[in-house]
Order: sequence, then structure tokens, then C-alpha cells
Amino acid sequence: MSTTRLQEVLICFGKQKQTDIATANTGAEMWRFGKLNAALANPKLNTENDAEEFGKGHEFPTQSFQTSWDVSGTLEKYLSAEIAAWAMAFGLGKVVKSGTTPNFTYTCTPLMPASGDAAELPYFSFVEQIRPGAGVVLDRMAVGCVVESWTISIGSGPGRANSKITIEFAGSGKVIEPSAITMPAATVEKLLPSASLALTINGVNYVSNKNIVSIETGWKNNVRMDAGFYPGSGFQTAGDATSGAVRGRLEFGNRQGTLRFTARFESGSTELAKLRNQSTGTAVLSLAYDPNNSLEITWQRVSFATAEVGETDGIVTVAVECLPMYDAANGILSAVAKCGVDNICQ
Amino acid sequence: MSERNTVWLRPPWGEGEPKEVEATPAVLVPLLVAGWSQCAPPAATEEVKEDVHD
Repeated sequence: MSTTRLQEVLICFGKQKQTDIATANTGAEMWRFGKLNAALANPKLNTENDAEEFGKGHEFPTQSFQTSWDVSGTLEKYLSAEIAAWAMAFGLGKVVKSGTTPNFTYTCTPLMPASGDAAELPYFSFVEQIRPGAGVVLDRMAVGCVVESWTISIGSGPGRANSKITIEFAGSGKVIEPSAITMPAATVEKLLPSASLALTINGVNYVSNKNIVSIETGWKNNVRMDAGFYPGSGFQTAGDATSGAVRGRLEFGNRQGTLRFTARFESGSTELAKLRNQSTGTAVLSLAYDPNNSLEITWQRVSFATAEVGETDGIVTVAVECLPMYDAANGILSAVAKCGVDNICQ
Repeated sequence: MSERNTVWLRPPWGEGEPKEVEATPAVLVPLLVAGWSQCAPPAATEEVKEDVHD
């Protein structure tokens, strides 16, 4: 038998959203990417047994039961215009698509239930395959997945590793095996390198003053996983009550935005004063491959929660943790993602 | 074809008429936050004339 090495793993997932949590994407709605991390999105079957029940004459289990299914996974990737558009659209939940090829623009904002938006995030299917077909090692599709979080990390240096995105996702628990999906051709990605960064926070252009060292920004949906199970939420195999329950909804919980950065600290640097004054302003971060492929994230109102002077490679720097706040007109966050791919999250 | 890059949005809670707006973040973001969502353009209404030959 030949050894199976993880380099063989292929993944694809819904570029378009599912029609509902239980209806899987078709192959035509999916796109394929490479990734950096080895972890697989292993479905986990939770079981229980009858050890606690009286009437058996002993304390030992005599039966076990399939209770429920969990699916979760992580994608680590170099940041590209395509994956950025996907992460913003599925991660924030509200999307407006405009433009035409080769410049589709996805304007994304978080869902606001108080304004009539749903609390359920858009769903996608996630496929993992290793040698699908006659010599199959792995071929499965997790149905009804949502983006739990995304984190973009920008560092100093020329390599691709200085501009990365990490996406965590969670699923309803429903798994189709084999997936019956023909893996699409790999997506050609347009990378958004660290050297393309433009960054203005609270009135300071950290690129033009050449002070930015690193920045990290993210969004976490804190999906209410337990609330996905409700009376009637369904089973792994429809109509088979012994196959284990799956979730019938995935709603976001109390969402959190993060923005932190490290910059060189010099005479005239304003971070400590802004911390003391609790000054507020926008934070706008953008990265570009070309005019048609880019990402711009705007935190509509931030103040500085902490600012600590330290050092990076012997240079005095200040590490700032921002507090993203809600702006009455523009909300908390918006993302404008441009790429040449149509129908993302449509 | 219009040179303006526009999209159609439907109002929050589905109440009211859709409207066409400029597809710029400055215009879109406040509307999205207020509950507007993208929708398909309203179907074009064609004028139906009676067959004048009858």
C-alpha cells in the first residue's frame, strides 16, 4: 500500500452561498484553493450511553447512542483578493455586489438584526478529498458551514508570509460521504502583499511616516453552536433518529472586532496622548494587487484601549490595541473587496 | 447602458419600494447598516398596445 501524504489533500468550498443550511452547494458553485495548514475538518460524532440509567442491575453501559455531529476547521492562507472577498462576504454576512468583469466589487458589512437583517450567516459546503475515486482515502463534504472568524496579519518583510489570513469555520454537523463533487480547477489567486499596504488610523498615516511594523485585524462571530440544536433540527440521515442530530441553524452571538498594531515610536508620536485623550477616528487598512484586485477594511470609529512602549529588533516601538466602536451612521466595520470573480456569496 | 455603477436595494423589513443607488461605499454602507439589502432590479414594465389591425 502506498503511503498517503497530506500534500495530496484537495479542498474546495462554496463560492456561492447555499440556499439553506441543509442544501449542499453543487460542484459548479464551488471553488478550489490551496492552504498552508495541515489540519483537516474532521467531523466529530458525539455519543452517549446508558451507564447512568437504573434497572440494569449494574453501573456499566450496555448500549451507546449516536447523539450529535460537530464539524469545524481552519484555513490558513496567504492573503489574496479572492479569499479576502470570500472571507469578508461570508464572515460579515451582508454583501452588495457591483461592477462587472474584471472588476467585481463586494461591499460587505455585518448583519444587523435590529435593522431587520437575519442572525444566520450565509452557509457554504466544504469538501476535502484525498485520491477520490477508486483509490479513495478521503472524500467528504461538510454541509451548512459558516465563517466563525477571520484574522488578517500583516508583517514587515518581502515574503508572502507577511500577508496572511486565517479563517475558522464551523458546520451544522451534516456530512456527505462520498461528496460526489468533482474537484474544480485550482483558483488563480491575486496576492495582496504586505508591501502594498496603506494604513491610516485615528488621523495618522502609518505608511507615509514609515512607522508601521505590523498590524493584525479580525472579526469573530462567536456562533451559537448549541442553539443550533432545537426540537426538529434534524438528523445526519434524514428520517433516521439513530444517526445523530445535526444543527438546523447557525446564528452569530456577540460579535467582536479586533485591531492591533505595532509602530515605531518617536518624538511626536501621538499614540500615548490619544490613549489618554480617548480620541476617536476611523481606521482604514487597504491592500492591493492592482486596481481590480484589492481589499479595503474600514473600522468606522476606534479609540486606543492600550498603548505600550517597547521595542522591536532594538527599535523603540509602541504596541496599540484599538477598541472598535459602533458609529451611528456607518456601523462598526465595512469591507470593500475587489476581484475578478463573479457571484461570491450570491 | 448607464455609465453609472449602480445597484438596487430593498428597504429594511421589506417595506417600501426598492431604489437604485450609486455603488460606492459612502452611499452603500450607511444604507446597509440601516437595513437596506441588495435586490434584483424591478422587472421592466413593457407597454402593451392593442393590436391595431383588429
